Amino acid sequence: MKKKMLTMVVVVMMILVSVSGCGKKETGKSKVYTIGISQFAQHPSLDNCRKGFLEGLKDEGIVEGKNLKVEYKNAEADTATTNQIAQNFVSKKNDLICSIATPSAQSAYNASLSAKIPVIYTAVTDPVAAKLAKEDGTPSGEVTGTSDKLPVEEQLKMIRRVLPKAKTIGIIYTTSEVNSESAIKEYKAAVKKYGFQLETVGINTISDVPLAVDNLLNKVDCLNNLTDNTVVSALPTVLAKANDKKIPVFGSEVEQVKKGCLASQGIDYVSLGKQTGKMAAKVLKGEKKASELKFEQIKQSKLYINQKVASNLEITIEKEVIDQATEKFDQITK
Amino acid sequence: MGSIGNILLGVLEQGLAYALMSLGIYITYKILDFPDLTVDGSFPLGAAVSVALLTRGINPFLTLLLSFAAGVVAGILTGIIHVKFKVRDLLSGIIMMTALYTVNLRIAGTANVPIFGMDTIFDNSIVNTIFGGFLSPYKTVIIAFLIVVVSKFLLDFYLNTRSGFLLRAAGENATVVTSLAKDSGFVKIVGLAIANGLVSLGGCVYSQQIRFFDASLGTGTMVIGLASVIIGTNLLKKVTFIKITTTVVIGSIVYKLCVAIAIACGLDSNDLKLVTAALFLLILIISMDRKKKVKKNA
Repeated sequence: MKKKMLTMVVVVMMILVSVSGCGKKETGKSKVYTIGISQFAQHPSLDNCRKGFLEGLKDEGIVEGKNLKVEYKNAEADTATTNQIAQNFVSKKNDLICSIATPSAQSAYNASLSAKIPVIYTAVTDPVAAKLAKEDGTPSGEVTGTSDKLPVEEQLKMIRRVLPKAKTIGIIYTTSEVNSESAIKEYKAAVKKYGFQLETVGINTISDVPLAVDNLLNKVDCLNNLTDNTVVSALPTVLAKANDKKIPVFGSEVEQVKKGCLASQGIDYVSLGKQTGKMAAKVLKGEKKASELKFEQIKQSKLYINQKVASNLEITIEKEVIDQATEKFDQITK
Repeated sequence: MGSIGNILLGVLEQGLAYALMSLGIYITYKILDFPDLTVDGSFPLGAAVSVALLTRGINPFLTLLLSFAAGVVAGILTGIIHVKFKVRDLLSGIIMMTALYTVNLRIAGTANVPIFGMDTIFDNSIVNTIFGGFLSPYKTVIIAFLIVVVSKFLLDFYLNTRSGFLLRAAGENATVVTSLAKDSGFVKIVGLAIANGLVSLGGCVYSQQIRFFDASLGTGTMVIGLASVIIGTNLLKKVTFIKITTTVVIGSIVYKLCVAIAIACGLDSNDLKLVTAALFLLILIISMDRKKKVKKNA
């Protein structure tokens, strides 16, 4: 008897929870767009994507609070949660889902397949490997967006100019992250051209990072970060250990440089987000279907240098290089 | 310091932080015979509490006590779920571990909190004055070692008190406890509280070592702890003059050493999981055989 009661209570609770998740749809005079933003983790670069995305929509006349309703949800780096968020957005019949980072994009596309809700993604390094696009760049369905593929060659060129004598670059990456796997392949192919050797360590969980760093620091002249979520999350450990041995760490984007990486020839995530916002506007206004837009990449990379880190490591960077920097930092932000 | 020395130093640092956690798992697994999965949540709980306090400028050494206290609360709750609500041991741990994930996120604020450049137990004005010059690279190891030694001796001391004796009896044979007119359920709750307090303390020390908190820190804690306990207690079974808690600490360091060796050999950490599992099973099978023999002889 007790068990039956309990089951009843649980069922009723579940129904309540699922009902409360369904809001009413607004019917205004002018068209108000509703979009859901599903972000994989709280992470400065991904936050910048979101900021840029809304700016890009604004440039096209779709303004939050006026003719745009935004619902933002963050999965806190839990893939299972991204699926729930995606299903929730689909059940609310949003006009569009914006998904930031690969796991969110995959979940959103998967959830919206039957509902025919367009998905616009950003910060997906390799849409082809993530099965969001075909080999020729055409979308797999109503899903398109922008890739934050690393400018590998540019980064290597920059490292060579900053450290003319360096021989070996070390990279730590997470074997379960598709983005990192493809970036490692690219680095392997490109390092020889710039006279480097590559040492890599593949890790599994965040608790492997300290030992992996200890191991690499004995073999390399510098470390180089990818946009690997796990390793970037453990950046304080990487930097502390590298600083002790006076070995520079190169970042993959500006936020890492602010936090104590020496330099990065990377992507400006705000402009990447803007570009994505403009694509989303096309889809919302009905000018193009998502499936008719190839995914895009940012062509030009930007150079960021942290001069405080350079002086800490006693590295002098040529004035020419410094002059090319988009932004220079004189302190390490906590 | 040579390159090998550097790797060994890293192994010691890591191993000592995990040793605190392994001591906790030793209590639940070896003494209470309770497969406590709470640890996958209470390890990052200690980390969450410590970063939450450090970012608010609380004295780093105070975080040790408060993390321990937080773990004690988690352990008590698991114990209550198990003893009072009659939920199976494994399930009670799983329920608590799941709940703690959210609690940890709430305490820390976000899924990832760096504490770079803040005062920690390993890096503050007092410590840096004591460990100046040539001692500086070793300060983390020395401080972690001191914390482990103090915890270990306190635990040894406790296990020799009346309450500690009851705890040991509760795992072996609950009827003994009952015959002494004591509540074996209460004894279990005490054991779980102390165990999770130690695990949480380990998480606190570990997060200050790696200088960040991450929601995923707890994944696989139970497995690492079990491996450490089993390696330590089986490896040094024949050595009679060291206490069993010491073997657990050594086991924890040996486990981390194995991981470091595997990484140095270029073994992928994904393959490492299988190696760990195989090693695990092997040691368990060997120790199982002995138990059976003992039973036959008895």
